[in-house]
Amino acid sequence: MMSALTARVPRHAVWVLVLALATAFLFVRSGFDFGYVIPKRMARLAAMLIGGVCIAWSSIAFQTITGNRILTPAIMGYEAIYLLLQSLLILFMGTQSLVVLGANGNFFLSVLLMLGYSWVIHRWLFRDGRNNVYLLLLLGLVLTMVIGTFTQFVQLKVSPGEFSILLGFSQASFGRAEPGQLLTSAIVVAAVCLAGVKTLPTLDVLSLGRDQAISLGVDYQRTVRLYLALIAVLVAVSTSLLGPTAFMGIFVANMTYALARTFRHRITLPIGCAIAVGMFILAQLAVEHVFNYRTTVGILVNLVCGVWFLALMLRTRGTA
Amino acid sequence: MITVNKLSKAYGAKAVVSNVSARFSARKLSSLIGPNGAGKTTLLMMIARLLAPSQGDILIEGRKITDIRIGDYARQVATLRQSPDFNLRLTVDELVAFGRFPYSRGSLTAEDHRVIDEAIAFLSLQSLREAYLDELSGGQRQMAFLAMTIAQRTDCLLLDEPLNNLDIKHAVHIMRALRRLCDEQGRTVILVVHDINFAANYSDHIVAMKGGSIHCAGSVSEVVTEERMRELYGLDFEITRGERGCLCNYFNPLGELE
Repeated sequence: MMSALTARVPRHAVWVLVLALATAFLFVRSGFDFGYVIPKRMARLAAMLIGGVCIAWSSIAFQTITGNRILTPAIMGYEAIYLLLQSLLILFMGTQSLVVLGANGNFFLSVLLMLGYSWVIHRWLFRDGRNNVYLLLLLGLVLTMVIGTFTQFVQLKVSPGEFSILLGFSQASFGRAEPGQLLTSAIVVAAVCLAGVKTLPTLDVLSLGRDQAISLGVDYQRTVRLYLALIAVLVAVSTSLLGPTAFMGIFVANMTYALARTFRHRITLPIGCAIAVGMFILAQLAVEHVFNYRTTVGILVNLVCGVWFLALMLRTRGTA
Repeated sequence: MITVNKLSKAYGAKAVVSNVSARFSARKLSSLIGPNGAGKTTLLMMIARLLAPSQGDILIEGRKITDIRIGDYARQVATLRQSPDFNLRLTVDELVAFGRFPYSRGSLTAEDHRVIDEAIAFLSLQSLREAYLDELSGGQRQMAFLAMTIAQRTDCLLLDEPLNNLDIKHAVHIMRALRRLCDEQGRTVILVVHDINFAANYSDHIVAMKGGSIHCAGSVSEVVTEERMRELYGLDFEITRGERGCLCNYFNPLGELE
């Protein structure tokens, strides 16, 4: 039964496709310039790989924990906090902040702030043994809106030049990341994934819902808190590295379910990673070679994912 | 044996279960009955460790359940809540395999497969093994969930209204299966049930609750009497005992409803 189940899954096909896309990305119109063009592209590829893994893992795990397929961790307000930080930096220090902090300073400050934010809200919500994921979502949603409004207020105060810098921060981009940040992120993400891999069967059980999971011997509270912490790390890394990706996670997760046709995270998570990375590479290829930087990755990703997802929904008639 | 000792559960100032003490014998089928809001499900959920009591404790074989690790507890007590709802696309086989999680943590052994086969055969679900849960009728779904609970191989099974929304044939099928679990496999079954006739005909022991407290408890013949049922439900009962068991008729009570 197991073999029949996994045989249907185009696990390897997806990765072969990603590999082909990556090769194309590295070499198309590169002039085989190993001194400048290819190393630069390698850095962007690494950013996509790390970001893709972060988005797929965090979204799929988050959807399992909340038992909801139209959510991403973005609803918890991580990206709102990130944008608020960028706005405040520009407001108080002006363009000077770019120089004072440097790219690395900004990266690490963002990661720390998002981790601190998630630590505070988890800590507050789970105080004295309480455990209510829905309250967590509600709080996250409200905070997202409040912080978002505050950010807009701040943005009205800055000059048009500074505003265009902020606009840059609010859109996903792969060119921003420095090699040092990439290395740090890769190590952190690898550590998180290793910590998560051992508990994947537990995550499978969590998809049956709280009561059934406890009845099957899962320490629900501990597992949920562990996973929310892992998700916070992944989101902090990907947002600091690429900028907000908003709801790409929803598309990635749902396309994964449609392709994988199983609930087992051992299968869905790798496929999800491949889909996210493939999507990034495709969008970036299009931005660089077709649109000549006149559009952004975020817009393309949402457009392509949205259309594909709708097509899938229609074809599989709701079983997606 | 499960012993409940001065157990209370309150939400704010509202007590749902207050100072309840009860005993559930091993290898017997016990039913929790009573009107809506009596605290039956709350009591069952506290035994299942899905709810934490406000006061009092629960002992299993003389050990406080809170002293047992949740992973070990799942090998002693299995719980099935009413119609669990999730948006997973699962086959019956995959669902039943979840019952082995407390033992194998996700990687099934040959022993696990044997137990899964047994649980499926026990409820005669062989023909549905490859069927997806969302394609099944409510009754078949409930049987599949029961098979998962059986595959957990626990001494004790807790079921919250397992007959909810089932047609009479599936209801009889489930109650017979529970009876066989007691008689053939020596398991302890505790269930919340609303149909007083099923409780009267299939239980060894009945615990009747009302307003958060135990109203009365004992064997079927002790508890299911016209007088006690009238007190419990506030309805006029006519109980007749025949060759095939007893029948509680409350459909046309004499006099006005309270």
